[in-house]
Formats: sequence, C-alpha cells, structure tokens
Amino acid sequence: MHAQQAMIEFSHAGKKYGRRGRVDALTDISLVIPGGGVCAVVGPNGAGKSTLLGLLLGFLRPTAGSVSISGESPRDYLNTHGIGYLPDRFSLPAGWPVGRGMQALLGLHGIPADEIEATIDRFELRPHVSKTIGGLSRGLLQRTGLAQAFAPGRPLIVLDEPAEGLDPIWRIRLRDMVAAQRDAGNTVVLASHDLSEVERIADTVVILDRGTVREVIAVRSTSDVTYRIRLEEQISALDAVFPGATAVEGGEYIVHVHDLTELNRRVAALIELGGRVTSLRPGGELLEERMRRTADS
Amino acid sequence: MRGLAALTWLEIHSRRRRILALLAFSALYLVAAIAFRALATGEHGQVEPDALFSVGGYALVSTMLLSGWTIGRFPLVIALVLLHGIFSSDVTAGYTRVYASTRVRLLTLYGFRLLLLLALAFLMSAVLLPAFDAIMLGKLSGSGIFVLIAAYLLVFGSLTVFFSVFTRADAWCTIFVFLGALVWHAMLRGGLLADAPVALTQAVTMILPPQGALNAIEDAFGMAAPIPWSAFLYVCAYSALLLVIAGVQLTRREI
Repeated sequence: MHAQQAMIEFSHAGKKYGRRGRVDALTDISLVIPGGGVCAVVGPNGAGKSTLLGLLLGFLRPTAGSVSISGESPRDYLNTHGIGYLPDRFSLPAGWPVGRGMQALLGLHGIPADEIEATIDRFELRPHVSKTIGGLSRGLLQRTGLAQAFAPGRPLIVLDEPAEGLDPIWRIRLRDMVAAQRDAGNTVVLASHDLSEVERIADTVVILDRGTVREVIAVRSTSDVTYRIRLEEQISALDAVFPGATAVEGGEYIVHVHDLTELNRRVAALIELGGRVTSLRPGGELLEERMRRTADS
Repeated sequence: MRGLAALTWLEIHSRRRRILALLAFSALYLVAAIAFRALATGEHGQVEPDALFSVGGYALVSTMLLSGWTIGRFPLVIALVLLHGIFSSDVTAGYTRVYASTRVRLLTLYGFRLLLLLALAFLMSAVLLPAFDAIMLGKLSGSGIFVLIAAYLLVFGSLTVFFSVFTRADAWCTIFVFLGALVWHAMLRGGLLADAPVALTQAVTMILPPQGALNAIEDAFGMAAPIPWSAFLYVCAYSALLLVIAGVQLTRREI
C-alpha cells in the first residue's frame, strides 16, 4: 500500500466514546491509503467502520493519534477541496424538492449549473426533480445521494454502504461508476457489508473487527494468478505439485501460479500422480472466508 | 455563491409551515386589535380602556392588556419558532455531515442561515408590531419600535443559536433563561436582592439575557423618549459574544 503516494494516513488513531472514554470504538489504527484506487472497509456490525469514516472526514476527533488527508487535517482538506460523500442512510430535509436540493448541494461544491443538470440526467433523476425528498423511495433517495457524491471535480469520494437500496441495474452502474473514478485517478473509500460487491470493485480491503484493523488485503494483486481446485480425493502429492496450496471450505484448495501455461503443466502433473480433478475455477480465497477466519481468530 | 442562493429558497420553503403559523398568529392579534377598536374607539381614534370596560368588564380589558404584552414579545416568539433547531436538528438528522463535505465552511453556511432567518423575523415583526400599535393607538409608532424589535431578535436569536450548538433543547433552554432573566430583574427592581453579595448579583445579571437593557429600550419606546443607544449597544455586545462562542464551538465540535 506504500507503492503509490499516500493520500490518507491514520497514525495510531483511536477513538473512545462515552463520558469517561469507556467505550473503545477504534484502537491504534495505523493505515495508509494511497491515492488513485478503491479501498473498501469491511467488518461485522460494531466493528468501527462508520467511526473510521467519521475520523477520516474530520467529523469525529481522534482521542489518540492522528488522521490526515494529503498531509492536511481532514476538516482543512474538506474546506479546501470538498469531497464526494454518501453517508449511511443518506437523507436531506424531507420538504426539499430533489432538483432544488441538487442545485443547492452541488452549487455549494462550486459545480457549474450545466454539470449539475448533466448529473441529474446521468442518475435518471429528471422525472423526479419536482418530488420532495420525503416522497422518494429508498432506491431513488440512494440514487440522489450517489448523484451528489459522484458529481465531478472531487479527487476523494467516501461512500458508506453505497449499494444499499439499489436495484440490480443500479448496483451494476454503481460498480461502473466506481471503476470510472479509479480510472480517472480519483480515490474511493467505501464501507460495505456486501462482501461480494466489495470483492468486485475494491483494490484494497481493510478488515476491521472490534475496533482494530485485522487485515489489509490487496484484492487485485498482479504478481500471480489464483485458482480454486477440487479433487475427488485428497492426495499427498498436491503439496509437491502446488507448493503453498491451502485448503478452504467446500473441499477446495487455493493454488497460485504465474500464468495459464504453468497451471496446465501442474494440473497435468497432478493427474499423472493419480489426482482426479473434479473442478477448477479462477478466484482466490473469497473475502467471506477471510472474514470468517478473522472473526474466528 | 450560487449554492447559497439556492439554499435561500430551500430554507424558507422548508420552514413554510412555521411561517404560516406565525402569519396566522399575527392575523389573530390584528383581528383582536380591530375588534377592540370597533368596540371602544376614543376621541383620538385610540382604543379606550374605560369604554372597553363598560362593554366587556375586567375580562375584556385584561384580554386587551395581555394581547399588548404578548404582542410585545412577538420578536421573541418568532426567534424561537424560526431558529429552533437551526443547527442541532441538522446534526441529529445527519445533514450537517453532507453540508460539511462541500467546500463551504459550516460557519459560513450556518451564519448565512442565521442572517436569512433573522432578516425574515425582522421583516415580519416590523410589519405586525407597528400595525398593531396603529390600530390600538390610532397613530403610527415611532422608529424606536424597530430598535426594540432588533434588540429582542439579537438577544433571543443569538441565545437560540448558542444553545443549538450545544444541545437539541435549544428553544426550551432559551425560554428557561428568558423566564429566569424576567424573574431575576423583577427581583432586582423590587430590591429583593439587596442583601446578596454585589459581585454575585452583577455576575448573574451579566450572564443572564440583558433584560435590563431590553426593559430600558421598551420603556423609552413606551414613553416616546429618545432611544437609549447605550442599552442597545450592550444588547449588541451580549449577542456578539454569544455568537462568537457558538461559532468557535461549531468549528470545534464533532458532527
């Protein structure tokens, strides 16, 4: 995570709640998030995901350590650059008409009128501009939140449960929008419960549990390719053919190779040694399995 | 800035029910004033209490006096109604975080909202109070009424904002300290605190809303005397101090 220039840095950051700081929400978080990528924060309920985002944006003050964005304090960064932000359960005052609300919020970001109109069209909110926020369905409200978060000109976008309430089509579009931000060199930080969605869009996954960072996983590693192989019966030769193979749930093994040629050569060797392959598919250890392991540890 | 201009409309739109309620409240008082005037018009076109007494007895005269006193507190009422939850409601609902993600500082945003709502409150009060006086007294009140309105709005507007950055019960706290100040100044005027330590009475008087200064402005207006500008300046200084503390807290507090 240090290869690219650090954009966000947590240095031994901690947060305690309660009158006398009795509740440890986050403890000793040290984390560097590089600019230009997608970082997902996952973890069970109460793990501290929202608190982490609150610290990142300067909405909450750390009770220990520090947090910075591009070397500035989070609030200074926000005041200077603004960010795209979608809170968990996004809402605006119920009486606000959607169109006026978008004009006000994006106007505060300094976004020109024509780009605001383009954003409204992009998120297919045009038929709903005269409706009030209170009259929107959950999915439309989430789209309104995403529209104001994804409006152009912000190098950092922070999304808390972005897929919540979206239908399958908009989930796919959300994935494309996040990918487009990555391609444009922007940084996206998101918190989500949806591990399969996270696996599809994130470059880096931070697993939080009970207020601490348990694991930081580079999901899109380019150094090797990972496959999952299942055998009819376990054979001792597997370790010799695929060094470092690890057993996962469902009778599968995770194996690592450099390319397809190496994969075929090793599978042939395995069959030669009496192995009977029942299935072979791409895909590393599922995030879900890593999470389960982390939770059990 | 365009965003703030768009917010102006939204601020007024989202408070339209409160504004309508205040207009209804105002209309009720104007109708009452017209009724008093119709029942008992004096020689100079003013409402004559003796004539009112002969029509409706103590009940009607008391109603008229109570109407006059409460309409004098209209700037306080409007400040509470328009400004309650000015910041605290947004924090509770999570809107403040969305606003904070923009390039506009929260101080600018909420300062703008305060100015807008105070201007609206002043406008409504500046129409209702002189109109009520004109109907009841048969003549236009002097410019002192606008100073009185401004003084009330400054004190109770800044108090509501001050409490709003600390607690959700901002309007209740403002009412509580208003009543506290009324009682305290009544005790001071009545000499009930003569034996209390001077430093203590001075400290409490300074901390509580400047009811003494408000009374001085109101008395001068009632007697058509020159406006006591020193009292008005004290009101301005008290309000400015509250707003500075609120501003500092707004930039420092978690949201």
